[in-house]
Amino acid sequence: MSVLAVEDLHVWFELPDDKELHAVQGISFGLERGERMGLVGESGCGKTTAILAMMGLLPPNASAAGRILLDGEDILAGGDATMRLHRWNDIAMVFQGAMNAFDPVKTIGSQIQEPIETAGLAKGKAARARTAELLELVGISGERQDRFPHEFSGGMRQRAAIAMALACQPKVLLADEPTTALDVMVQAQILELLVRLTDELGLAMIMVTHDLPLVSQICQRAAVMYAGHITELGTTNELYHHPLHPYTRMLFGATPDLLAERDVVSIPGSPPRLDEPIAGCPFRPRCDSAIDACALAYPPTRTAEPGHSGSCFVEVSA
Amino acid sequence: MRAGWSYVGRRALFALITIFVAISLNFVLFRLAPGDRTSALRCQGCTEEFKQNLKKEYGLDKSIPEQYVIYLEQTAKGDLGRSFVTEQPVIDELWQPIKNTVPMILLGTILSIMLGITTGVLAAWRRGTLSDKGVVWGGLLFYSLPTQWLALMLILYLAGPLHLPTSDIADPYLAYNNPGTWNELVDRFKHMILPAATIGLVLFGEYTLIVRSSMLEALGEDYILTARAKGLSNWEIVRKHALRNSMLPIVTLIFLSLGFILGGAILIETVFNYPGIGLQIYESVGNRDYPVLQGAFLLLTLMVIIMNFIADLLYFKLDPRVTE
Amino acid sequence: MSFVDPPQAALPDVVRPPSRLRATLSFLRHHPQAVVGAIILLAFVFIAIFGPYLAPYGERQQVGPIFGTPSGAHPLGLDDGGIDMLSLLIYGARVTLIVGFAGAVVAMLVGGTIGIVAGYFGGKVDNALMRVTDYFLVIPDLVLMIVIASIWGRSLRNIILIIGLIYWTFMARLIRSQVKVVRERAYVKRAQALGASHTRIIFKHVIPQIMPLLLAQTVLMVALAIFLETAISFLGLGDPSVTSWGKMIENAFSRSAISYGAWWAIVPPGIAVALVIMAFNMLGTAVEDSLNPRLKVSHLSRRHFRLRPLPDKEDRS
Repeated sequence: MSVLAVEDLHVWFELPDDKELHAVQGISFGLERGERMGLVGESGCGKTTAILAMMGLLPPNASAAGRILLDGEDILAGGDATMRLHRWNDIAMVFQGAMNAFDPVKTIGSQIQEPIETAGLAKGKAARARTAELLELVGISGERQDRFPHEFSGGMRQRAAIAMALACQPKVLLADEPTTALDVMVQAQILELLVRLTDELGLAMIMVTHDLPLVSQICQRAAVMYAGHITELGTTNELYHHPLHPYTRMLFGATPDLLAERDVVSIPGSPPRLDEPIAGCPFRPRCDSAIDACALAYPPTRTAEPGHSGSCFVEVSA
Repeated sequence: MRAGWSYVGRRALFALITIFVAISLNFVLFRLAPGDRTSALRCQGCTEEFKQNLKKEYGLDKSIPEQYVIYLEQTAKGDLGRSFVTEQPVIDELWQPIKNTVPMILLGTILSIMLGITTGVLAAWRRGTLSDKGVVWGGLLFYSLPTQWLALMLILYLAGPLHLPTSDIADPYLAYNNPGTWNELVDRFKHMILPAATIGLVLFGEYTLIVRSSMLEALGEDYILTARAKGLSNWEIVRKHALRNSMLPIVTLIFLSLGFILGGAILIETVFNYPGIGLQIYESVGNRDYPVLQGAFLLLTLMVIIMNFIADLLYFKLDPRVTE
Repeated sequence: MSFVDPPQAALPDVVRPPSRLRATLSFLRHHPQAVVGAIILLAFVFIAIFGPYLAPYGERQQVGPIFGTPSGAHPLGLDDGGIDMLSLLIYGARVTLIVGFAGAVVAMLVGGTIGIVAGYFGGKVDNALMRVTDYFLVIPDLVLMIVIASIWGRSLRNIILIIGLIYWTFMARLIRSQVKVVRERAYVKRAQALGASHTRIIFKHVIPQIMPLLLAQTVLMVALAIFLETAISFLGLGDPSVTSWGKMIENAFSRSAISYGAWWAIVPPGIAVALVIMAFNMLGTAVEDSLNPRLKVSHLSRRHFRLRPLPDKEDRS
């Protein structure tokens, strides 16, 4: 059984002027124990919204439908009350590197201790010792827990954020662009750390990013999102060698390759607005292989082989 | 150890320079008075010789730079001159009124801080609800009332029903009718209630609005989302993270508004005939008693500068980021 | 940008800016308090302009006994000189509003100019300006005003100048920090690279960008100026030759309206002042609010996201 499974998840946002934005339009996937999966797409495609839904952290103007199963139990059905029980204890999150995830006036250590004490895992001295352990785990000396966030470098803050996410020994780690705003060397170190920790602790991880090549280096599987839909889901290997959707192929081309085997091709145009219904395939205006059928209906999901599916009328191959 | 002592040093230096500027400004301002200062001595009918003597006595026959040096020396010694009216040293004239004003202002300010912070936090927390709207409109209302008018309203509509005195600082017949230290204290306090309430209400409007928006700003920060993700309850989030961060700008504001409070004290003490520094200023304006006015202005400015310095120190203590 | 704002994040930047009229209308719709404020203000401006035609009696015309009680002919009663209060109130609107606007405009012109120069050119000018505003911030404003007013003498012009003189620093500080932000924007850099003159850049690019803030601050400043006019008048330092609301409160107080029980001599001018100040504050804070994007997100709310049933699948084959 999947440790975390999402079934037909929808999220809407109420906008002023009685409009509604359908940010996530029925996505489904499963995450196995110890597995690393990428959730990939451009900004505005609904990937961050999807993981906020898994954390139960959607803003009050949001509404959600579908099922989020944690070890088979639907945790979305109970709303915020149920979500709160599992938040951080079972599903924890590493926030965007660019964010001020730490309160500037409190020490790093006290902020890592907070969830430990809230969950009742340890108190006082024991909690401090646990915090030191966690920091050592991510490569920061435990004595530095009395430092303030502004005294840490960006990379160290992100390490500390990972330590904080591990505080209550969660089963699933959600990482939202964990390496944005960090320089390349530090990025590599953070990714290496995430890979090592998930392997050592048997943690499942969903990594949200716009960088598909990066995902294919560290994740076994990936889901590509566009305009609120998962357009393609499969192992990163399959996605790279036999993409079912033009968007997947283009995403691989849109990021510079370290080995520079091919030219960087950016995808022209930008994702569509989601505050009104879209007829046909939302990717059609930007697609290089669109046919007439694409304008009429959302393409059906085809399964090329077990565990690899995509939603496109056209059969593409690299 | 934080390497922030240079910050404290720099703020102290700034305070000292400001004090010097204030002292000099005080000198310049009163030299700018139109006409000869002897004309202000209510001396229209005096002889020319008498005027010359007066000028000599006040050092007005010397050149401006010389006067400035003398003025600086005297001020440094705490000599602010003598009152035109009572002929007493200005510093003595001001001391008792200040002792009367401080507790009254303190009472009102503390009242408004407590009330303003509670309601402001509550409003931000329950943003968009009826209680939030109530706090915003109430805050706007009190913020818009002219201080002196609010004081008059309290006299008209509150003093009677509550049996509170509306004038002076103590009951002159108390010693005969109802002697005793305790009774004296109660009487003092009663005389303080309405003036303090006026200050409290006026400031309350300002504080509650600012606390609310500062709190809202803090609640929009990323670390609040982190705290929620960590499973903290709303109350814990407010207490542990939002409050401290939103109080940072408020601390500065409260100390900065001291100048405004002292200005308000002039109006309030005039209405309530409360013998504090404000009433002293009001009366010395009427009497053209420039030395007292000058002294009061200097003392109040010094008080604000010192309070600002304290605010800087407090900020240093509260915000670990302040090092530069 | 905060990442919990998916609705905004989802909107591409190709959205065209709405027209000025549409923007104004939408602003008013989302800030009902601005509408209330604007209506109150327009009413008072009307009264101020047409005062002499609206007032039932003259400004100095004794029409009855001292502190005559309110009646059909004199709905707000009479003051200490037997003058009709309603008429005085109407005449007072003009002076009060003039002092408020003129004081604020002086502050805006002086403070705005200095703020723009300091913010745009930076360097020594900027430093010097900040030092000066630092000093002004710690001087108790009303006390300084009293000192200056008692030295300069009692006239409307002096009050306006004093208000402008003391408050230009607030304006300069705010405008300066805003100009600093604008200066770094791409189109300003581009204009500089293309060799546009400083004057041209300031007038074509900088001022239009800071206009909303400048206006909001001026509006708030008017409220402050009116507040100070009443205070100065109350302390007997107002212009003796004109009627203002502040002066009316002072008159009532110094002629013992309270011991006469003549509430009608005190309450109405205070309400008028409060209404006008409140109207300006409502308008100013609404504009300020809409300019401050940081207040739009709150991560803490007693309400939570809702659950709803799954949508029909008809639109997906």
